[in-house]
Amino acid sequence: MAAINLLGIACNWSPFACYNAAGQAAMELPPGFRLMRVMCIGRINQALILRAFEYGADGVILLECFDEDCRYGPGPEVGHTNVARVRRLLHFLGIGQERLLEKAFAANEKEALVRALWEFAEQIEELGPNPAKPRQEREAS
Amino acid sequence: MKLDTPRIRRIIAEHNLHMCLECGKCSSCCPRFISGKQYSPRMLAQKLIAAQPEDRAYIETSVWDCLTCGQCQERCPSGVQFVQMILDMRSELAATQGLMGYRTHDGALHSWMRIMTSPEIRQNRTQWIGPELKVKRHGLQAFFVGCAPYFDVFFAGLGVQTLSIAKDGIRLLNRLGIEPVILSEERCCGHDLLWSGDRENFETLCRLNYQEFKAAGVEEVIVSCPECYSVLSQFLPRVVEGCDLKVTLLIDLVNRAAAAGALEFAPRQGVVTYQDPCRLGRQAGCLAPPRELLERIPGLELKEMADHGLGALCCGNNAFINCDSYSKRHQVQRLKQAHATGAGLMVTACPKCMIHLTCAMKDPRQEGSLAIEVRDLASLLADHIR
Repeated sequence: MAAINLLGIACNWSPFACYNAAGQAAMELPPGFRLMRVMCIGRINQALILRAFEYGADGVILLECFDEDCRYGPGPEVGHTNVARVRRLLHFLGIGQERLLEKAFAANEKEALVRALWEFAEQIEELGPNPAKPRQEREAS
Repeated sequence: MKLDTPRIRRIIAEHNLHMCLECGKCSSCCPRFISGKQYSPRMLAQKLIAAQPEDRAYIETSVWDCLTCGQCQERCPSGVQFVQMILDMRSELAATQGLMGYRTHDGALHSWMRIMTSPEIRQNRTQWIGPELKVKRHGLQAFFVGCAPYFDVFFAGLGVQTLSIAKDGIRLLNRLGIEPVILSEERCCGHDLLWSGDRENFETLCRLNYQEFKAAGVEEVIVSCPECYSVLSQFLPRVVEGCDLKVTLLIDLVNRAAAAGALEFAPRQGVVTYQDPCRLGRQAGCLAPPRELLERIPGLELKEMADHGLGALCCGNNAFINCDSYSKRHQVQRLKQAHATGAGLMVTACPKCMIHLTCAMKDPRQEGSLAIEVRDLASLLADHIR
């Protein structure tokens, strides 16, 4: 089976602390997983999530803080709204809303974060490749 | 980049730029120029002809600043085809330098349009069709829905309901005894990709749509959105060889039926004003049918805004690129014109006009003073079917 492309978008604070701790503890991450760090998940809009799928991501997971932990205020709430809308767009497009997920973590939950990534990777592997992969990638595989 | 490449020289020549008299009528009516932007169609024409190396930055910016509303072209005494020239220049700059203008909403709309170029996707785009709407999967006449289902989700924060235009369009067609084909794999018409220079993906969308039409046995496509109409009637035949689709505007069809007495409308009291979409009025020349239709609703009084018909002001954005404070400034001007008519309802015929003008109304600094109800002509008519 062709390798899957997973994109994680992580808030710099709690989720990235987990990711960092997981790295220091040498915990294994799913193959094909790439992480993009932003200062707050509120920075991510519908366009940036859609573009990941346009460029060939098979799954996107937003790693965010709990609502009450946000350093800036409404970050995770903005994330919820955007994820809800983009999931509907993905459903219309036939890409499937299951390919977009959001999960919140506290700063000490590295095991939970790594587990969530593996579960997500398994789920996406079952779904197979994103049907909207760019032409160049489709031709290469 | 060199400015005097043979291709750019050909674009300039093909669209009559050498005929420019430098009279400046274009700039004096350009909504961008009037709202104070450092943009002038006359200067752009001059700089393109002169092709001085130091003008490169000016040209590269200006080509994307144009609203392509066509006011300049309308007034030009020399027949310079400015809008077509902008379109070709955008395709050229996108193809040779990867320029794409500043994409509003971070290019989300362009993203889903490009996603639709994938032949493998199986969309779920027809779930809004309830049992009250009679549609088919196969037949001679199709109704083109366009991006309406997507707009309603993406612009949920604005509260616009562009999908209701599609529903009301089908209601009107059903009333006229037409059961239209709705394609389950219809793609975006590609208007915004075309006008932002992405020629390759635009052509892919054209071909995919044409294949879908042919597979469903469609010979005539009925369209409510002026942008889809412009693409399907003018651009698609140039992309798809041997294209034999007949493209009909919904309001033309309804107007003809009403003129023949097949359709009557229930009365409604009040004053309305009408926003001419650029692709419908100036480009397709469809100025009278919407006004005739409004007059067919008894009791309704149409009051024109200061700028209307061929001189109508654009809603402020084109292809979801380069929306800025100048767009806002002239949207505010347009909404003030609408208020000055005393109308309680602004009727338009394009979902984009509805989106852009509703967005301008939400400006917190205007404290709601610009708010006016906006409805699509098809929806207004469908609500008053007798």
